[in-house]
Amino acid sequence: METKAAASKAAPAKPGRVEMRDIVKCFPGVRANSQVCFDVSPGEVHALLGENGAGKSTLMRQLYGMYQPDEGEILIDGLPRSFRSPADAIRAGIGMIHQHFMLVPTLTVAQNIALGERSGRWPLADTKRVVARVRDLAEEYGLAVDLDAYVWQLSVGEQQRVEIVKALYKGAGLIILDEPTAVLTPQEVDDLFVTFRRMVAEGHSLIFISHKLGEVMAIADRVTVLRDGQAVGSRMISETNRDELVHMMVGREIKQLEPRALEAGASRLRIQGLRALGDRGTEALCGIDLEVRSGEIVGIAGVSGNGQRELAECLAGMRAASAGTVCLNGRDIGAASLNERVDAGMAYVPEERMRDGAIGEFSVKENVFLHDHAARRFRRGIFMKARAMNEHAAELVREFSVKTPSLDTPLKTLSGGNIQKLILARELSRSPALIVAAQPTRGVDVGSTWYIHQCLLQQREAGTGVLLISEDLDEIRALSDRIAVIYEGVIVGIVERDSASVQEIGLMMSGVGA
Amino acid sequence: MKGLLSWNVLSGILNTMIGLATPFLFAALGETFAQTAGVVNLGVDGIMLLSAFAAFYVTLSSGSLALGLLAALLVGLAMGLLMSFVSVTLKAEQGVSGIGLYMFGLGMSSLLFKVLIGTVKTVDGFKPIAIPLLSNLPFVGPILFRANILTYCAFLLVPASWWLLEKTNLGLKLKAVGQNPAAADSVGISVSRVRYLAVCMGAVLAGAAGASLSIAQLNLFQDNLTAGQGFIAVALVYFGGWRPVGVLAGALLFSVANSFQLWVQVLGVKVPSSLAVMLPYVLTILALTVTANRARQPAALNKPFERGES
Amino acid sequence: MKGKSKLIGLVLAALVATGAAAAPVKIAVIMPSATTDAAFSQSMWGALLSVQKELGGEAAISLKYTENMWNVPDAAAAIRDYASSGFDIVIAHGSQYGSSIQEIAKDFPKVTFAWGTDVNTYGLPNVYAYTAAAEQGGYVNGVLAAKLSKSKKIGVTGPIEVGDAKTYIDGFVQGVQSVDKTIVISKTWTGSFSDVALMTAAAQTHIASGADALTGSSQSVVGSIGAAKGKGGVLWFGTQADQAGLAPELVVASQVYDWTGMLKDILAKRKAGKLGGVAYTLTLDNAGLKVAYNPAYKLAAAVKAAGDAAISGISKGTIKVNP
Repeated sequence: METKAAASKAAPAKPGRVEMRDIVKCFPGVRANSQVCFDVSPGEVHALLGENGAGKSTLMRQLYGMYQPDEGEILIDGLPRSFRSPADAIRAGIGMIHQHFMLVPTLTVAQNIALGERSGRWPLADTKRVVARVRDLAEEYGLAVDLDAYVWQLSVGEQQRVEIVKALYKGAGLIILDEPTAVLTPQEVDDLFVTFRRMVAEGHSLIFISHKLGEVMAIADRVTVLRDGQAVGSRMISETNRDELVHMMVGREIKQLEPRALEAGASRLRIQGLRALGDRGTEALCGIDLEVRSGEIVGIAGVSGNGQRELAECLAGMRAASAGTVCLNGRDIGAASLNERVDAGMAYVPEERMRDGAIGEFSVKENVFLHDHAARRFRRGIFMKARAMNEHAAELVREFSVKTPSLDTPLKTLSGGNIQKLILARELSRSPALIVAAQPTRGVDVGSTWYIHQCLLQQREAGTGVLLISEDLDEIRALSDRIAVIYEGVIVGIVERDSASVQEIGLMMSGVGA
Repeated sequence: MKGLLSWNVLSGILNTMIGLATPFLFAALGETFAQTAGVVNLGVDGIMLLSAFAAFYVTLSSGSLALGLLAALLVGLAMGLLMSFVSVTLKAEQGVSGIGLYMFGLGMSSLLFKVLIGTVKTVDGFKPIAIPLLSNLPFVGPILFRANILTYCAFLLVPASWWLLEKTNLGLKLKAVGQNPAAADSVGISVSRVRYLAVCMGAVLAGAAGASLSIAQLNLFQDNLTAGQGFIAVALVYFGGWRPVGVLAGALLFSVANSFQLWVQVLGVKVPSSLAVMLPYVLTILALTVTANRARQPAALNKPFERGES
Repeated sequence: MKGKSKLIGLVLAALVATGAAAAPVKIAVIMPSATTDAAFSQSMWGALLSVQKELGGEAAISLKYTENMWNVPDAAAAIRDYASSGFDIVIAHGSQYGSSIQEIAKDFPKVTFAWGTDVNTYGLPNVYAYTAAAEQGGYVNGVLAAKLSKSKKIGVTGPIEVGDAKTYIDGFVQGVQSVDKTIVISKTWTGSFSDVALMTAAAQTHIASGADALTGSSQSVVGSIGAAKGKGGVLWFGTQADQAGLAPELVVASQVYDWTGMLKDILAKRKAGKLGGVAYTLTLDNAGLKVAYNPAYKLAAAVKAAGDAAISGISKGTIKVNP
């Protein structure tokens, strides 16, 4: 009882109504927020919905003191406040959980929570107090964390729990969560939402940044939509629907994807008994058997870190297999190099697009020709045919509606969606027989995601085989003809698109339902 | 070879090792603080040189060793502020600014030496202090407990640094700022302030390293007195895996190899001198390849912090 | 008018002529260490200064130096700069500069080059070479050290086993052995010209192993003085320059290189039109080498007599010292 009293004494007062008025924030060349108004009432879950680059994170970083608005004001309980740093915001009872967790991997959970707190036992770090108070928090909110574990030992879901505990420990009454579900399994999302409800019941308010409509509809009380740095409007969830929100977000209608029924044709990719080691030298793929046929999309579903990355790299020829065969169009390509695989008809959309798929410092045009600069139609002798290359690049940019100021713009300055569209354009322009797409829409906005999905479906109709590796189960379920679930390096089950529920697939993903 | 194995020689080797290790310990432990907070300070050697000169000159002209030491520490602090201003506030490339600092220290100490002293002079440096009782222990007594005050300080600094990094609030902040400055910033820690502190702590200790050379061990000053010891100290930080005890191991290994090769030559063991002098370096490189472990390297090492870049 | 202008012309010509006569000989010297190193570089710089003083000061000879040229390419650039900017004599004071001289001297046939320590003039008419028979003074120091050592252990330190450092030590060993063959001489080489800390440790190691007399190439003097200071009873024997001033209580005697005779000879030969082609060797006999006893050290008369005997024996050729 005594510790509880101490806890409540140490916690700052919960902020009441938080209001942001006419916020303007500019970065060189970008008006990230223009005249945005936003407010949160106590005990409310307010979703901030918008595409990547719509200005959601920027807006919230101003509320959290990381940036200062160029214009406009922030009021707490009607009083204008100016936060010059996160420390000010924390003192005002505001917490933020970032998309990239703000944890120090080499410190323990307790040390991470103690970080930045005044130590009661100066000069020593005071983790004793952390232990006592976190026990209460864990009880109150159902958030179990291992205080002595190092953060690097924790799964992503556990790290997120640490972040939430940390925010609560610091006495945050209003917590901003930036895309908190992006890294979680469906079960973990359910758990997270349970936690949200308990927090709201305790009187906390939450700001939930997301671009996933389903989640917003499921958890939020109210939603504000941002588009291109402007607030498009706010709605009570009970008074709106999916279609209206999509329209507000994207600015136009987005048709639901409706893959046509197709007969799958000849085998494109056949994997038998594939084994490979992971980066740490332990076996990451333990005998994968899988087939992808012409006109078919096969989705690989699984929780991050169960061998998806290694599978993609093995197929692309970037990781050596220790056993098993990989056949493309019936030809064994197990020993072929990356270039030989490309020539044999494989297209690869890598997970780490800035590491494996493109070079950020290079221009848009140069990235189009990373593989093909030596192709006959783009060179004369040892010289490159500048005009033919320009025309080809311009055509791809137009066709795949890549938004770029020019062909010579460095790729890294484009948004994730545009970079991904460009990579896809490059890969598809070779008319491949098989596409291996790893996380093709991670970090990509709704419009581009829709476009990329369309492209994959078109390829399917044109007779290409598609292997779609994704941690976004909605994406897998929307596109795949068959869904293969991977768990600890093994395919634990393959189901037809409509024959399994999310829950069943989710259980298989956690290794239970197989 | 028989001569090499006597107690007398062993004690001689270890005694020389303790002396040689002193400046390495100061400089490398200081650099450990700076690097833990994410700043590589390659200017250690320059700081050591200028501080060594300051200590020597002040001692020579005032006759007070305490004033000389104080001067060295103050010069270290000033150089640390300069380094942090350039690399933290101005966010300059750390490697380049560190080399710049080294050149400054090298040139400035050489110039001041020429103008203010100009020739070989000596001072009476810190004298060995025999610790009662302990210094009379057989074998270890003369090795460990008859050293000068700065050597005692350097060795006591090892557990002190461990305690600071592992147990204190400041240690947490240093690590956080070096591993994930954005995380530190997000909980209200001023990344700049912590880095300034870390670099300055390191530079003050580099100042102590300089003083230990010019007014405790050699008792004189010469152009380029350190002969690159500051750079070896930076390497020892990597060698030690950013842990004080690892730095201690590295400093002792390097020093013992050096003192061993000197004894090998003195005792007339038939080894070409050019091979003998290579021994410490070869050993260090070998040890580095065997123990190379970047797992503990601060993730934000060498990266200036800009809020909102993630 | 005509006569007047003729007169002015004559006066002008006279002025130019006297001006030319008064123009000092310009000498530049490139040195591997500092002019204040109390050793090799200082021996040359000191000699130049005393020659300048003797022959009429700055009006007669103007001097320029570039020091700390450890890096040979930098030194080569400096040599070339001096040669091309009107210096009459360019001295490259270091055996490592030989190949640079060989290359550069050909391009400046009007400039005199001198370099050492070596005996090779490369057959070039404008190159003088100079060296010192360092083994001779080494022998004398060896005799003194052997007479004074009580522990019968002597330590030798230095950076690298080359050049006159090596010949000095070879002579030293012969000198010691001429007195007492049982004396143990151990040598350490640190591999670095600038690592004072390591040189100090080397000297300390000698002392710890029982040596009571130390010598070595000049660069190591600093470290040895640091090590021997306060220990008492440890003696130092210097070479290249008089090192008594550095540590009056330690230094017994120093072999001193005196380049003045050679420098004056080069100046005279150049005036006579001979730009080079001669190799000099400093010896005890030609007074290029001297043994300077430290007046502050009370040397027993018998020991000093043994030293003097060695000097005269070497000068007369009755004692042969092998380099």
